[in-house]
Amino acid sequence: MSLPILVVDDSAMARKMLIKSLPPEWDVNISQAANGIEAMVAYREGKAAVMFLDLNMPEMDGYQVLEALRQEDMNSMVIVVSADIQPIAQERVMSMGAIAFVKKPISFDMLNSVLKQYGVI
Amino acid sequence: MTLAALTNDQRDALQELTNIAMGQAGSSLATLLDAFVDLSVPRIRVVEVVELPATLAELVGKNNLVSAVRQSFQGYLRGEAIIIFGEPGTHALADLMGYEAELAESGQAELLLDVANVLSGACLGGMMEQIRSFTDTHGPAELSFSMPSIMARDVPAQAIIDPQKVQWTHSLLLEVNFTIKDRNFVAHLTMLMPEDGIEKIRGIVDEFIAAF
Repeated sequence: MSLPILVVDDSAMARKMLIKSLPPEWDVNISQAANGIEAMVAYREGKAAVMFLDLNMPEMDGYQVLEALRQEDMNSMVIVVSADIQPIAQERVMSMGAIAFVKKPISFDMLNSVLKQYGVI
Repeated sequence: MTLAALTNDQRDALQELTNIAMGQAGSSLATLLDAFVDLSVPRIRVVEVVELPATLAELVGKNNLVSAVRQSFQGYLRGEAIIIFGEPGTHALADLMGYEAELAESGQAELLLDVANVLSGACLGGMMEQIRSFTDTHGPAELSFSMPSIMARDVPAQAIIDPQKVQWTHSLLLEVNFTIKDRNFVAHLTMLMPEDGIEKIRGIVDEFIAAF
């Protein structure tokens, strides 16, 4: 069965870039969300075994999603994908339960090595 | 001249380009001030120059007193970076930078220039780096910068720019802001580009979209 993954970013372009950077052989069922609220809806529908999460979004940002996930058992592997490259941002999301942090602009090689490192692929 | 607005796809792609460039500027600012910087979602407008004061007031907050630094850039892209500092933050800067005593006016101005220079340099540098990665630029895609200069001290946001002194009719306006919450510091980085620059950006953004 395909793995349900969720791509969360307010930018459609950013979601497209991320999806194009996924390993082509990876058997996934991709859903998308444009903000944290949509992300939580999709998560509760079981569409996010793996979640690629942007931080900087309107309505509900990535930090708030991590907080909400923590209160709902964190049944998802969250990889934060952000243009905010401050070391403190990285520390903060890891302490909130994200398994990895990937910098934008995203590259195929970087994403692949993270997915391999954490045994996601 | 009438100017076609950006399509939704173009606006979205430009917002993401700006977002990535801004992340680098935010990181530079965080290092300079040794503080965590909250980044905003970029805002993008195409405005008539006569509407600029009202638009800036809307983005920055109407009755806030602000100081502003301008720096022009030219080369591959042409325009003005205008960095707008909220009033409390201006006074917190010396402290953030580790100066012990209250600074004289000239020292404060110098700090604003330094911070503005870091923000505009990192943001535009980040923008150009991405552009070079997906465009076929036929030669070096470079920018040169003017020296930054103070354009306003402690004025209402709508008084930063006098439209009559701007020689363009339309402007593409990109705005992001950097906040240090517990220090009451906020800096808005705005970039203004004239009509011909908008067409150039449109072309760049279309290449960006086509590359993915």
